[in-house]
Formats: sequence, C-alpha cells, structure tokens
Amino acid sequence: MLALATRNEDELLKETRAITENATIPSGISSIAIPPYSDPKEFLAQYNKPDSAVSIKFNRGTTTLAFKYQGGVIVAVDSRATGGAYIASQTVKKVIEINPYLLGTMAGGAADCQFWERVLSKHCRIYELRNKERISVAGASKILANMVYSYKNMGLSMGTMIAGWDKRGPGLYYVGDDGTRVTNNIFSVGSGSTYAYGVLDSEYKWDLNDTEAYELGRRAIYHATHRDAMSGGMVRIYHMKSTGWVKISEEDVTDLYYRYKAQEAVAAQ
Amino acid sequence: MECVIGIVGKDFILVASDTNQAHSIVIMKQDDDKLFKINPRGAMLVTGEPGDKVNFAEYIQRNLQLYKMINGYDLSTNAAANYARRELATSLRSRDPYHVNMLIAGHDDHDGASLYFMDYLSSLVKLPFAIHGYGSYFGLSICDKYYKHDMNETEALNLLNKIIAEIQKRLLVQLPSFHVRVINKEGIRDLPTIYAKYQPDQSVRHESMEL
Amino acid sequence: MSIMSYNGGTVVAMAGKECVAIASDKRFGIQYSTVSMDYPKVFEMGPHLFLGLAGLATDVQTVSQRLKFRLNLYELQENRHIKPKTFSSMVSNLLYERRFGPYFIEPIIAGLDPKTHEPFISVMDLIGQPCISTDFAVIGTANEQLYGMCETLWQPNLEPNDLFETISQALMNAFDRDAYSGWGAVVYIIEKDKVTVKELKTRMD
Repeated sequence: MLALATRNEDELLKETRAITENATIPSGISSIAIPPYSDPKEFLAQYNKPDSAVSIKFNRGTTTLAFKYQGGVIVAVDSRATGGAYIASQTVKKVIEINPYLLGTMAGGAADCQFWERVLSKHCRIYELRNKERISVAGASKILANMVYSYKNMGLSMGTMIAGWDKRGPGLYYVGDDGTRVTNNIFSVGSGSTYAYGVLDSEYKWDLNDTEAYELGRRAIYHATHRDAMSGGMVRIYHMKSTGWVKISEEDVTDLYYRYKAQEAVAAQ
Repeated sequence: MECVIGIVGKDFILVASDTNQAHSIVIMKQDDDKLFKINPRGAMLVTGEPGDKVNFAEYIQRNLQLYKMINGYDLSTNAAANYARRELATSLRSRDPYHVNMLIAGHDDHDGASLYFMDYLSSLVKLPFAIHGYGSYFGLSICDKYYKHDMNETEALNLLNKIIAEIQKRLLVQLPSFHVRVINKEGIRDLPTIYAKYQPDQSVRHESMEL
Repeated sequence: MSIMSYNGGTVVAMAGKECVAIASDKRFGIQYSTVSMDYPKVFEMGPHLFLGLAGLATDVQTVSQRLKFRLNLYELQENRHIKPKTFSSMVSNLLYERRFGPYFIEPIIAGLDPKTHEPFISVMDLIGQPCISTDFAVIGTANEQLYGMCETLWQPNLEPNDLFETISQALMNAFDRDAYSGWGAVVYIIEKDKVTVKELKTRMD
C-alpha cells in the first residue's frame, strides 16, 4: 500500500532513479539491490510513519506455531494480514511449501518471508541435484539463516519456522531476521504467540497421538485469534511425517468458536 | 513487570499477586503484598508506579473506611469500584496523574462475588477473570480454554496454577512467588503461596546444531 | 498509535420510517489485546433516546455518566422528557467545555422526538461540533468501512425489520475488516411504542 500525498512527483522519481542506478548486485545467492544509503532500516522507517507524505504500511500481525512430537511435526497458523488496524486479508497462506519435505511459516513481513523461502527452495533443489539426496532440515535452515544474516540491519522483517523430515527424523528450527537460528520442540511466532504458548504448554506432551496433536495446534491458534486483534481468519494445520508433509485442515475461526461453544454447553450439562 | 490475577468462582473470587517489588534492575522486596483490603470481604490488587500505588490504594481504602464509619455499612463491590474509578478518572486529567492498574474483587449480598478490572486510564470493566501485567498475554488464553462458570475452589486453584506455571515458564521476567487469597461471604482467606515449580527439562538432549 | 483507537470500538446509527436504529460492537481492548467481549457502547438515556460513544473507553464511561447526571437534573427541573435535539445540544456543550483538553470520544445521538416521534440522529466530533443527519451516522475505529457499507445499503423509509437487517449487515461487514472492533454486537431498534434490543452472532477473532 503506497500513498502519495503532498510530495513532489519529480523529486520522488529522481530519488528512485538514484537508488536504482547506484544499486549493486551482490554476488552469489540472488540479486537484491543494495540500497546506496548508509542506514536502510532508518531510511525505510521514515516512510513507515503514518503522518509521512509517503506512508507504507507493511502487512504484519500473525500467530504461527509448530511443535515436534512422537508422530512428527505439527505446523499450525492463522490467516490474517493487517495493515495498521485494517484487515487486509483473512485468507493469507502463512505456511510456505518449500518442497515435499520442508515447510516454512510466515510471520513479520509477508514479502520477506515469501521471497527468502522461495530462494531457499531453489538452494534445496540444487543441493538435491548435486548430492543425489535431500538436504537436512538443519542444513536448509542454516542456508536461510545465512542469507538473512547477510542482510542484517537492513530492515528485513521475518520470524520463520522451518519444519521438515530428514535422516535424523523430524526437524524444527526457528530462523529470525536478526540471524538467529535455534532448534526446539515447541515454537510460536507472531503477535499472538504468547496466547498460543499458553494453550500449547498446558497440554503438550511428546506422546500425543495424531488427533490430539492436531487438536492442540488448532486450539492454540484458535485461542490466539480470539485474544489477539491482529490474528484471525482461518486455522491451517499441516503435519510433517516421514513421508513428507500433508495438509490436515483449514477451518474458519468462526466455525470453531461456535463449535467449541456448543461442545462446552453439552459438557456443562 | 508486576502481575495480579483474579478468577470468579461459585460465590468466591480467587485472587493472586506476584510478590516482587522492583526498582530499576533491582528487586527491593521479595514478599511484597499488592493486596489492599477495602472491607471485610473486598480487596484491591494494585500494580503500577511504586509511589502512586500505595498512595492511591490507601486513599481509596481510607475513604471507604470513612464511608463505613459515617453510614454504618460498606459500599458494595460495584459502588467501591465506581468510586475508585471516579477518583482515578479525576486524577487522570490533573497535572500529575496516578499511574495505577487494579483489580477490585469483593463479595456482597446484592451481587455475590464480583471482579472488576481497571487500568491506569480508569477504564472499568466487570469480568469473570482478569490479569494485569505481561502475565495477561500468557494467562488469558489459558483462562479462555479452561474457565467454567461456577467453579469450586479446587477447580479455580487448578486454573490459577496453570496460569502461574505458564508465566513462570515463558515470561522473561521471573516472578518466583504469588500470594493467593480467596474472597467469599466469610471474608478474605489466605491460601498457601505458590512458588515456581518450573525447571527446564535437562534430560532432553537437543540434536547438535552442527551441520 | 492514536488515542482514539487505543481501546477500539465502533458505533453506527440509521434512520428509518418512523423509527431509528443504533448499534455498537462489544469489544474492549488495550491495543492489540482483547480484554472484554461484553462492552457495549450504546447507552439508554430515555425511553426513546440513545447515546453511542466511541473512542477512549475511560472517556466513554466518564462522558456517559456525566451526561446521565445532567439529563436527570434537566428532567427533574423540566418535569418532561428531553427532546433528542435538546439532548444533542447538551452533549455538544459538555464536550466544548473541554475544548482545550478534550474527552477522546465521538458521540452519536439517536432517538425519536417524545411528542412528534420524528426520527433524530446527530453525530459530533470530540469537541462537540454537531451534525444532524437524516440518513445515518458512523463513528469509531471502523468508521471508514461503515461509510462504505452505509452508503451502499441504506435507503430511505426502511421499516423497523428492514432497518434492523440493514444496520446489522452494515456494522458486521464493516468491523470484520477492522482489527480493533467486533467480538459481538448489540442493536437497538427504536419505535414509537417499543424498543427492541438484539444481540448479533458475529466473528470472534
């Protein structure tokens, strides 16, 4: 969303041209223009202020989670995109299908997540062709972490989880825009993550069966959408198995709300 | 960083408050009590700016006491909450407003057990359960999931334990203990303090981060 | 972050044929976090008179209570029900008293004249500039969405049942595109001899 208000168009054009002409293309992984000014983060930030003549509102606000358990990895996400208080979409796909054995999740800047995970899928494919075997989850997540690390402090915004299955079994990594890369059994990322953690932690066990695990992921996202204004829409669930990922369900939060309410009413009697 | 919790059950309110009194990066007191009695079966749990907190809470407390002395009966929970709200709202538009958040919990003959949530802007809401502080980001979803109307004391205490366990597990700021009370028709009763139980599971060895 | 959208919430009013409707959402939040889902912003000020307030929750409470107090005094003094138009001036006066340190709310007044039963709707800015409207009025965090909905759905001389359908659809579809309002809604249909209150089943995210 780009809003041009009082700013002189010529001036803007000149500025844009200056940026593109001076841009250098980094060797290696991809061709992202490096901006010619010293602090891109600050440069962009001035256009993110709502009262600026040029005001860009990135889509933000999310709840995503993933956890490992006896049967693999569960990935569950909401589907809302917001630009400020405006709900831009209720049907965003926040699970990125990198390849049949790798899933990525999307939190923070939608474009950043989508782009870098697309680049990641290219690297994973090249690895497969060169080595005649699939890349490990650890390896894939490290490629992503290295890529975003090279753009550190340039204003990338992403909190992503990489879930997969390799020789070592189920894998789950969190990769952040500051270059962090950590592995754990449970992760939740986004504005609604604290709410999701609340539900997740209270019920999580390694020995969960598949149905219980799906329901736990679903409940955690559902409760987060209920309390967090920036999360909502649908709950999407994916299951990473030894045979690759399967999509389990896509349900509207409203249906879940009234279903759970009816169940509670029955239980109360 | 402070945290107070209230849960309404069948004819009672279960309230809990963390016991830290912090200043800058230092914990000044580890057994601080954030509860202020407003009548034999009503109390405020107050968080916020250190000086304001006690000053405002005691001001309300003493005026409610005075009301009782003049009139011979206590204000209902609703009336007390609205009185506190008015005082805070008046202060809000003064040169130096009080910066306090509170839960007001009480039992009276008219409404039974009731719980009010009020933030430093003096927005007052009646709720079945309420949490002030960062703890709310972890606790509210747990309440949404497990809260039932007319819970008994054991059930409410189970829920409270779940919330506190989660806060102690996930919140960066450690809140090692919580004072717990039950407010009902008989008055305000202390329950055993809840201490942190969470220990990271050291038996789980994560796979190496090396490639 | 605007102070007007700190707690969220939205109100809409519409005029029909010998009736008016006013509706609000039920959310009380603190920025992104939803605290209560039972916080309507429409207040009954008389048998045919309703007040909707959107903005900072503390001021919604303060203003509604102070107005109720002034209204009670007025009605005791005059020994009759206030006319919506007079009440509108009362609201305007109260708000302008705080010209240099305003209450962060915008009001909607909706009602029927106690004698003629003529529909009345007015809306103001936060320092009390009134605007009497013959069709609809919108305030709150979803006001932009509501303008769109009302402009397309509203038509003159709607019967009470159709007015209910129109205002409900306008409100629900508007706040479904606003992160800061929703979580339930309440609708009042004000007719000459009855007031109907209805709760709407809405999205809860």
